[in-house]
Amino acid sequence: MSYLNNPAIVMDNGTGLTKLGYAGNDSPSWIFPTSIATSQASGAKTSSNQSNTASGAASSGGSGQINNPYFGNSTSATSFGNNLSSNNLLLSNNLAGKRGTEDLDFYIGNEALIASQGPSYSLSYPIRHGQIENWDHMERFWENSIFKYLRAEPEDHFFLLTEPPLNPPENREQVAEIFFESFNCAGLYIAVQAVLALAASWTSSQVTDRSLTGTVIDSGDGVTHVIPVAEGYVIGSAIKNIPIAGRDITLFIQSLLRERGEADTSLRTAERIKQEYCYVCPDIVKEFNKFDRQPEKFAQFIIENQDKTKQKVVDIGYERFLAPEIFFNPEIASSDFLTPLPTVVDHTIQACPIDVRKGLYNNIVLSGGSTMFKDFSRRLQRDIKSIVNSRIIQNEAVTGVKSTGVDVQVISHRKQRNAVWFGGSLLAQTAEFKSYCHTKKDYEEYGPEIVRNFSLFNMV
Amino acid sequence: MSQSLRPYLTAVRYSLEAALTLSNFSSQEVERHNRPEIEVGNTSAELLLQPMHVSRNENEQVLIETSVNSVRVNIKVKQADEIEQILVHKFTRFLEQRAESFHILRRTPIAGYSISFLITNKHTETMKTSKLVDFIIEFMEEVDKEISEMKLFLNARARFVAEAYLGEFVY
Amino acid sequence: MLHLRSHNLLIQKTLSEAYEANEKGAPLTLDRIVSDFDYTTFHITNTPDNKVILWVSIRTKAWQSVLQCDPNNGLVSFLQSKYANAAGVSVSNNTEPGYDFTLQIDLNALNQDSIVQVSLLKTMVLSFPFHLAFQEFAQLCTLPIPEDGSSIDSKTLYAIQHRDDEQFFIKASNDRITVIFETVFQDETDKVLGKVFLQEFVDARKRNRSIQSAPQVLVSHEPPLELQNQKTTRNVQADSSRRFITFVLFPRHFQTEELQFSSVSQLTLFRNYFHYHIKCSKAYMHSRMRFRVDTFVKVLNRAKVDDEEEDNESETQQHTRRTITGRKMVY
Repeated sequence: MSYLNNPAIVMDNGTGLTKLGYAGNDSPSWIFPTSIATSQASGAKTSSNQSNTASGAASSGGSGQINNPYFGNSTSATSFGNNLSSNNLLLSNNLAGKRGTEDLDFYIGNEALIASQGPSYSLSYPIRHGQIENWDHMERFWENSIFKYLRAEPEDHFFLLTEPPLNPPENREQVAEIFFESFNCAGLYIAVQAVLALAASWTSSQVTDRSLTGTVIDSGDGVTHVIPVAEGYVIGSAIKNIPIAGRDITLFIQSLLRERGEADTSLRTAERIKQEYCYVCPDIVKEFNKFDRQPEKFAQFIIENQDKTKQKVVDIGYERFLAPEIFFNPEIASSDFLTPLPTVVDHTIQACPIDVRKGLYNNIVLSGGSTMFKDFSRRLQRDIKSIVNSRIIQNEAVTGVKSTGVDVQVISHRKQRNAVWFGGSLLAQTAEFKSYCHTKKDYEEYGPEIVRNFSLFNMV
Repeated sequence: MSQSLRPYLTAVRYSLEAALTLSNFSSQEVERHNRPEIEVGNTSAELLLQPMHVSRNENEQVLIETSVNSVRVNIKVKQADEIEQILVHKFTRFLEQRAESFHILRRTPIAGYSISFLITNKHTETMKTSKLVDFIIEFMEEVDKEISEMKLFLNARARFVAEAYLGEFVY
Repeated sequence: MLHLRSHNLLIQKTLSEAYEANEKGAPLTLDRIVSDFDYTTFHITNTPDNKVILWVSIRTKAWQSVLQCDPNNGLVSFLQSKYANAAGVSVSNNTEPGYDFTLQIDLNALNQDSIVQVSLLKTMVLSFPFHLAFQEFAQLCTLPIPEDGSSIDSKTLYAIQHRDDEQFFIKASNDRITVIFETVFQDETDKVLGKVFLQEFVDARKRNRSIQSAPQVLVSHEPPLELQNQKTTRNVQADSSRRFITFVLFPRHFQTEELQFSSVSQLTLFRNYFHYHIKCSKAYMHSRMRFRVDTFVKVLNRAKVDDEEEDNESETQQHTRRTITGRKMVY
């Protein structure tokens, strides 16, 4: 059948951002917030009608909507600020006010953020803490993702979806129910995010053997997870979460900017400073001295307003290295969580069965946007190594037995930002992928419980 | 509510009230086992009672199978045409998929019926019998309503979709 | 979303991004796969040494049958003429291996309008047989009308195999153009829902005055007369769920170029639109059923005897024995 030639669709629905794309590509085709704006049942109807006809007129005429008919493939959850005033950008769906079709009248992603500025839509996020909370919204989110953004007939494509570790099997069944019954998708594979992040690290030159054993540090916008994976299976009991992630870094930068009274202290500015200027230093005290001796280390960030008429200048100082430092010295930003990331990683691995610990130390893989700081992996590797070495020395002193040593290696690679999606893309483009999927036929024969088990990938 | 529906539901209600007199009864065959006798098969015929069959017409029937410690209620939901058939099938399967939260729902219906409930003495001990009966009756009413509403929705949607498509050709 | 758009949003986005990056002086290296409905795959590439030139290749199921519609092999020159006016877009002579057709794009000369044109590539390919039918119609129109008032039908029937087991047909006459879709459903539920939808397509025009001027729609089990002279490749009767949907386009639907284009782009999306809405209805029914489940569970939970209440009662009425660990004794 010719659907075998169609590329598989890889969807990674995260709490903050959704990444969509076709297997075989090196980056997701679409990245937008996992948000949906649904029309409110009644009230404000007249005004919504007016605004909709207005935007309808602006966008009618096929090729007329040339300004910016899609909404930026931005990589950040807060960078929608530019689009906010652009109400005309919404492609009207001409549905407002038509009774009985409320379920078609909604927007997802960046369009949802824009639509919710108006009076007639309310915004919601169907995924909370990695797990799907609102199935109605999620089903429609997928519907629009597939038909509008990916332009695919689900009957012709295989799907690879991701799930967080410790996702209850009932949730998988519900996903299968939606994909097979509503969408009739050809085949489905649900992979654990951490395992995909491990697979993505195979592209790194540091990786010699393609094993599915390792510790994944997944740091997104809201939360950072440390997840040990042994031979493709997540060791659930040892997973640890850290309440420090991208958003905390941004807020920390913002507070530093405010303290100094910079010209612009918006969240967006802080976010851009984080993305463009921050790095991890080996030692803060030395770095402070370095800054004092070399004033060229201080940077300036220039913001232009939309018409490029006015400029604001924001000075960037110690926050360049201080902001990512909150992973390693949380006490500088938070008062309730004080364990540094390297210690958490060490605890996590120590909580795992002793047989796999060496493999876990040897293959610490980074994933997610908040691990993208320069030299993040080096610092992490050094700190974990020193924890491990001091333990070995202690142990040798107590027992008198010489240790063979533990190799600590933190792996950093170029696809780190969307590592989960990229790992999915790698796996889904292999020839064997389709044989690992459950097909529509399997589903009809065995029912939803079939998705409780997926065979693991072993790619050698 | 149509005229014949009321007596039908009343009949089901009275039959259920009569049937839901269950007692804790340990298995006679297997030591330390306590199982719903209605599901076990007829190894001990004295534990099974005469099933009750309430029928409104050939499409809407209820079969109440009783035993000493369990009652099985099988409902055949009205399916007038192909669309209702598929809707009933979808709906009951959706419910059965969530049987965990329904306590008394059987994961597969008995052959010939759309949906089955299994009520054991455990259930009657932790739940009020009258409320259980209320639930079954309300369920029967609501299912019919839901199916016909879905059918109406489907027709309305189909009409809307077709008109919207053809409307694109009007210049 | 009610209507599907005829252009591919993702191609448009990818090209716009490439264009903007080029404007900023930091051109992207691209090697992207993009898919579209009906077994269509696009490949957008450039080479690292010359990032200004992009290639957009298309592979689509319908290509072979569209190619065969014209014995004179006019498809490529048709596409050439379509893209002649689009700035920065030209037809590449070296079609990428594994693909059917390749466009070459010069980012320096590109503008927003030609980006939209490129994202319409699939529609363009499918519009070729329609284009032939429009031409034929124009010829047939000039012929004298027969005495008995009957219409003159074209001898040729264009058959386009746009999916594995679905085709659509186009036939021109002197007073109309007939477009016939065959449709088949894999899924039992879809089959039934599809039937309801198709019936409404037939009735919609009769019921709603405002769309009286839309094309007439007919649905049949049997292949319509137009197809009966044609030897179809497969045994059509074999499948009971197969339906034929006939759209009768009148001259008012294709009087001008713009009308032709909008009619064609609607028609080529018919199958996708139809299936999309079946899926949306199923999604909507799922949300209804979720709501029902919640209300049923609520009703059932009302039946539950409150645990605390039970504890209090039993404690006052009779002495409960507990084990040393505090657990209640079970009798």
